[in-house]
Amino acid sequence: MRLLNQIIAVSTINLKSLPQRFLPSLSTIVAVALVVGVLLAFMAMAAGFQRTLQGTGSPDIAILMRDGSQQEVNSVITLDQVRLVGEAPGIVRKPDGSPLISAELYVIVDGVKRSTGTKANLPLRGIGADGPALRPGMTLVAGRMFAPGSNEIIVGQALSKEFAGFDLGQQVRFGTTVWTIVGTFAMEGSVFESEIWGDVRVVQSLFQRGSSFQTIRVRMQDQGALDQIKAFSEGDPRLKLAVTSEQDFFAGQSSGTVKLIQYAGWPLAIAMALGALAGALNTMYSSVAARSREIATLRCIGFGGTSAFIGTLLESLVLAVIGGLIGALAVWLLFDGASTSTLGQGFTQIVFSIALTPALVAQAMVLALGVGLIGGIFPAWRAARLPIAAAYAQG
Amino acid sequence: MTDFSLVLANLFSHKLRTALMMVAILIAFLIFGFLAGIQNGLDNVGGKAAESRLVTVNKINFTQPMPVAYVNRIRAVAGVDNVSFANWFGGYYQDPRQVIVTFAVDAETYLQIYRDDIAMAPDQRAAFLSTRIGMVAGRKIAERHGWKVGDRIPLSSNIYTNKNTGTQTWDFTLVGIMDPASEEANPDFILFHKEYFNESVTFGRDTAGWIVIETADPAQNGAVADQIDAMFANSPAETSTDTEKAFGQAFLAQLGNITLIITWVVGAAFFTILMIVGNTMAMAVRERTKEIGVMKTLGFPDGRIFRLVLGESLLLSLLGGLPGLGLAALGLSAIREGIGMPGLALAPFWAGVAVLIMLALGFLTGIIPAWNALRLNIVTALGRQ
Repeated sequence: MRLLNQIIAVSTINLKSLPQRFLPSLSTIVAVALVVGVLLAFMAMAAGFQRTLQGTGSPDIAILMRDGSQQEVNSVITLDQVRLVGEAPGIVRKPDGSPLISAELYVIVDGVKRSTGTKANLPLRGIGADGPALRPGMTLVAGRMFAPGSNEIIVGQALSKEFAGFDLGQQVRFGTTVWTIVGTFAMEGSVFESEIWGDVRVVQSLFQRGSSFQTIRVRMQDQGALDQIKAFSEGDPRLKLAVTSEQDFFAGQSSGTVKLIQYAGWPLAIAMALGALAGALNTMYSSVAARSREIATLRCIGFGGTSAFIGTLLESLVLAVIGGLIGALAVWLLFDGASTSTLGQGFTQIVFSIALTPALVAQAMVLALGVGLIGGIFPAWRAARLPIAAAYAQG
Repeated sequence: MTDFSLVLANLFSHKLRTALMMVAILIAFLIFGFLAGIQNGLDNVGGKAAESRLVTVNKINFTQPMPVAYVNRIRAVAGVDNVSFANWFGGYYQDPRQVIVTFAVDAETYLQIYRDDIAMAPDQRAAFLSTRIGMVAGRKIAERHGWKVGDRIPLSSNIYTNKNTGTQTWDFTLVGIMDPASEEANPDFILFHKEYFNESVTFGRDTAGWIVIETADPAQNGAVADQIDAMFANSPAETSTDTEKAFGQAFLAQLGNITLIITWVVGAAFFTILMIVGNTMAMAVRERTKEIGVMKTLGFPDGRIFRLVLGESLLLSLLGGLPGLGLAALGLSAIREGIGMPGLALAPFWAGVAVLIMLALGFLTGIIPAWNALRLNIVTALGRQ
């Protein structure tokens, strides 16, 4: 109990006297804040990108692509293959018995990024009549659906915000053809919001794709249907298509980019943390030096070394925590929710929102506490071991 | 005792503190050096030769093909010396997840245009030009897969289907290995003949993915590019022509504003260091108030004291910064070998910028303490506890 009282007393003195060491303490706080800020900015970017891809795609929808193509843009599917897939077991059919199926074309067109004015690859997806029915969660937020057979397109709201020239009612030129934007759609912040949609037959003819497609989407009746469709595709030499659930397909697209951002962010943050640690150690050593007489006096009147140790360590930790919180708050205020885009594995831009999650803040606070702990423990040890006579002899 | 040894003695009077500050500065310049190297790599995409080459792509997007007839029409444009073209094959070897950059090219003109980039033994070059199903691979690719010249290599495409076999796989004979012909070049790809491509694909025949042009005079690049694009205006496949370098950098810009991110990170790192070192220097000089008072009493002029303190912070900055820069250069060269990005190096320009920053850092952190030391009154200094 006595020890606890001593610790509380010393800690209070240390913290209350912080304003006397304002500048050195501030430098530690700022250093830790910047370390945490850099780390969180990178991690929040990675998390936002991952969230967008993982929030895309339904587990009930199957995507069929040419085997080995990996990406929608590479795949080629013939009209005959589309007809064959329509006969597959396990797929949902409409009341008239025909399959709910959308054969789609995925071509890349140029757009201009608003923020930088640079060219960007944007996906123009030609979808079939059943396309919207195979996109649960899709809603038109403005305008209307494109009319079949026309040069009309609808655009995802993320794309419209991020890239210039895709506002409702505007016309865009792809090559020699002019398209009118008649609607804007939302789809729960998914990758689809970074796309342009038109009638697949019009896209086929204006891009000279004949009757070829790139992917087929069908709705599955139940969980076992994926294996049924796979077996069906394997069993027919005319098909041999790769079958995945839409959810798995998009989840598999995030790892490369996310790893790249994380591999850039962590080493940078750790290097900066080492720099901040050097600063924290300096601050705390000088704090101990400045208080050496005070510590010696306390020791003379019966305070133990433990209270000096804990008091100093606590001071360092408090500075680091304040710094960490400021860094996290700054990232939250400056970046959280900000929209940006990068080139996805499908070779087109994916718009995503930077997402600062509590888990990331916790990780960053661990780093901040690490700096505070190591930056405080050695000076605290010195404070605890300070020879009383030497402290008075100084100065 | 010279002034320099005085500065040194002052700097190392607190060994631990000085060492810690040097570590902090070292890390800041390590970060700076690394990021400057990456920026340099991005700026040098394609190397210098790329500035004298033009690339024509479909205006809709560079993934859309153009009719192969464009090649001969471009060849006739005044100011054009050489023209070649290529198609993206989407190649992979066994594992579809590991894409190998593979181009179907008009071999003779392609090797001519890239003569300063691709080095190949003359007999291998001749063998490539005369072997219909021959392919040449960058040395790194061949080594990675254990291929030797003469090997039969089945290469697959994630896009095309082979008409002759109904599969996605083509048989090639590896007839040559490509090495970089200059320091900036990086032929980390596979080339094969467009004739073989054309006769065996089920679609995509007689198209050019992109057309590469060597101009007679780089000063005329803009005029030639305009002329080419005007020639195909209002055709079903309009074109967009730019220098190869601009094309490469536009593509990199699609990844994101990397320059902006680098600027922010470097800014954050330096602001941190400025705070830490500035504070510590102020503290170090404040602790020496009595010493400075004694020096002044002994007749040290104010200017000399000013220089001593400023010299200390400048020396500290250089002692921490230069090793940091050196470590960055070493690290960059190690990574450069690994990933084959030729421009990834600490360019003299950026090293110069770094040294200027070191001097600025030393100056900024030392100027206030030096000024205070200069102004210090002897009576106050000696009286202070």
